[in-house]
Amino acid sequence: MLFALALAGYCFVVGVIAAVRKDAVGYRLAETARRAGMASFFAVLVAAGALVYAALTDDFSVAYILHHSNRALPGPYKFAVLWSGQEGSILFWALLLSAYGFVLRLRHKVDQRLVAMASMVLAAIQIFFLILVNFVANPFGIMDRLAADGNGLNPLLQYPEMVIHPPMLYLGYVGVSVPFAFALAALIMRYPGEKWIHITRRWTMVAWLFLTFGISLGAHWAYAVLGWGGYWGWDPVENASLLPWLSTTAFLHSVMMQEKRGMMKVWNVWLIFITFMLSVLGTLLTRSGIVSSVHSFAQSSIGNWFSGFLAIIFAVCLVFYIRNRDHLRSENKLESLVSRESSFMFNNLLLLGACFAVLCGTLFPILSELVRDVKMNLGAPFYNKVMVPIGLSLIFLTGVGPLLAWRNTSVGSIKRNFAIPATAALLIEAVVGFVLYKNGVRFWTDMGQIYAMMAFCLSTLVIATVTSEFIRGGIVWKNKLQTNIFAGMYQLSRRNMRRYGGYVVHFGVVLVVIGLAGAAFNQDKEQEIGKGDKAQIGSYTVIGEEYTEDDNANYRSQAALLEVYKDGKFLTRLNPEERFFKASGGQPVHIVANHSTLREDLYVVYEGLNPDTAHPIIKIIINPLVNWIWIGVLVIVFGTGMALVPNAAPVSVPVRNTVAVAQMEERGMHPAGAGK
Amino acid sequence: MKKTLKALLLPCALVLLMGADNQEARFQNLGGKIMCSCGCAQMLLKCNHVGCPNSDQMIRELRANVSRTKDDEAVLNWFRTKWGVTAVVEPSTHGFELLAWVLPAAGLGLGLMLVVVLIRTWKMRPAPVAAADMNLAPDLEALRARARRETEL
Repeated sequence: MLFALALAGYCFVVGVIAAVRKDAVGYRLAETARRAGMASFFAVLVAAGALVYAALTDDFSVAYILHHSNRALPGPYKFAVLWSGQEGSILFWALLLSAYGFVLRLRHKVDQRLVAMASMVLAAIQIFFLILVNFVANPFGIMDRLAADGNGLNPLLQYPEMVIHPPMLYLGYVGVSVPFAFALAALIMRYPGEKWIHITRRWTMVAWLFLTFGISLGAHWAYAVLGWGGYWGWDPVENASLLPWLSTTAFLHSVMMQEKRGMMKVWNVWLIFITFMLSVLGTLLTRSGIVSSVHSFAQSSIGNWFSGFLAIIFAVCLVFYIRNRDHLRSENKLESLVSRESSFMFNNLLLLGACFAVLCGTLFPILSELVRDVKMNLGAPFYNKVMVPIGLSLIFLTGVGPLLAWRNTSVGSIKRNFAIPATAALLIEAVVGFVLYKNGVRFWTDMGQIYAMMAFCLSTLVIATVTSEFIRGGIVWKNKLQTNIFAGMYQLSRRNMRRYGGYVVHFGVVLVVIGLAGAAFNQDKEQEIGKGDKAQIGSYTVIGEEYTEDDNANYRSQAALLEVYKDGKFLTRLNPEERFFKASGGQPVHIVANHSTLREDLYVVYEGLNPDTAHPIIKIIINPLVNWIWIGVLVIVFGTGMALVPNAAPVSVPVRNTVAVAQMEERGMHPAGAGK
Repeated sequence: MKKTLKALLLPCALVLLMGADNQEARFQNLGGKIMCSCGCAQMLLKCNHVGCPNSDQMIRELRANVSRTKDDEAVLNWFRTKWGVTAVVEPSTHGFELLAWVLPAAGLGLGLMLVVVLIRTWKMRPAPVAAADMNLAPDLEALRARARRETEL
């Protein structure tokens, strides 16, 4: 790790010298800096590998392994030990950062000068994290005495998704360092044009994709493991991951204004600066212990380091912005309020408004403690009140934005484009309202259900908009290529992967929204269920069949076997379980049993044994539409993947040369495409 | 214009007023703003686990308070006094805690003003002279073409 720090230090210092010299010697120095930066990746990789090796071989002489692993821990979780504690997770940060840096420096030919400067910025960030792992939170601290076994991994993390969730989230957090490095480098160099935007577009999308996937994996983990029937608790650490996601989403939209119209340059540069600062803030919140959360690490002084780092980043960004702000002038003017440009501005306003609201809610308890010395909680009711209206407005813009033209949109065009999507939205809303009414749901008496109905309506508007965009474009290509509409839509997408990939992402987002809206119609019940006892919830009947206990090296467990009937017909057997992990002093973890359909989840939790009757207590929750959240996430991943694929080359429209075809047919030849 | 405004405001007002006087709805609503103080980190009405030392008592107190007073804020303040400020997860609408409500709204409001000012400024700004209209000398034109070529991806 010391070697890695020396290499990153060399990369930064020599990079600065090379940037100042700008001659042949400077060029050679820059090349050595680049190579040192690449070598730092291997040095950190070796350090991380050594820690994983220590975990896999139960080397409890290493304090970190002693505190976060034990002999009975299954292999994959031993690998996850790398990021499950404070010190290891910072080493993991440093590893991912150097990996991103390695790829960036490897692809230096895309623009050698800009990449050299970005590499220098990245090296500065690397130095900070390598100082932390070397001198502040060293994961290789050695124990005085050798212990027979370790304290074990946090039981909540012993779940398959937890092996993937943190790396995904970290890849997202760390990934935003790359666009940040390019933005700062372009500003420092007063780099002409929008090249840094072109270069970083894919990097930003990849970071956003990882953040999205990481956040949703975390939500799924909370749903499957925490056993409270929800997936998002507005926990400060969950919020910390949402903040950079929101600002990156804003950046991905506003960057189009710069690419297409040369506008919002200052905005974009600051958006990416803020995104990076939010990702550091998230790390600070998780590691300092200043907020209480199920995810946070123990309270430590490392928060001061992150606070200092955050202050330095802000100061550096501000200084270079003030020095070079004239370089960021807009090239065009806004021509109309009703235009794609305006919709992007309002989209950014809402996304950043949401980001600010979440930030306020996350930091308010800290502020309250500082000002009044009074601890307070801000929970779901606060966030739902603030965030749901913002979210609904965003969905509305998602439906409207793509229908507006760049520069100006005429009233006639708005009427023409909106007629079908708006009609579809109202029609679906009426049908959903009627079905709910027939099922006895008086949605107008509950604010949450009213919001849910609005979400269904606006989601339909977005789906109709996206579908109409595909169909209209598909018809044009169908006529142009004389093919069918699906082939036309495929060709359309291949010609502009970014735009149509973006539409697929929008479609995924509304599927997620539909899933979230379903929460307004949840039902739950908790009951003691002995053998043969029945619990009725909605149209489901749950009957206790058996309950058992088990014991293995890692944990002991209690479980119930339940029969489930729907409308009187046998549906399935469910086996909810509670595990007590031995190495962690018997800390319990719920293994939820879930019967999942597209319509609803029957979510069953084993809550424990009633000490008086020795019967299991079972919590049953009906979560409508929750599956659409996970399906939506997969669609978002697919859409982002689409947007990352380069466009196909322009197609030449076939013109049938009838004379030539006739001559060929006369000679018994069949030209390609003939007969279609 | 006035008619349109009224037509827009009426449904909003109806939506906000609906169900306001329903006691069970108030109970459910308030129960979703109070946390069980047994340490389970669950909302009061969600924390119905058997053997919880506090939730039954707190639920009884909530029901009694809801039937005693129509002022939801008074009910929440009663819980803040008895069970501590952390028992209520929604900030109050008075004093320092009002800031928690005001800040996001103020942030959005300021942002909206900024966007409107920005749009107005942009709209009023004279259109920039297009590079193509500048009639550059041929050698400068060649240089510009070269720069464009070299900075193109």
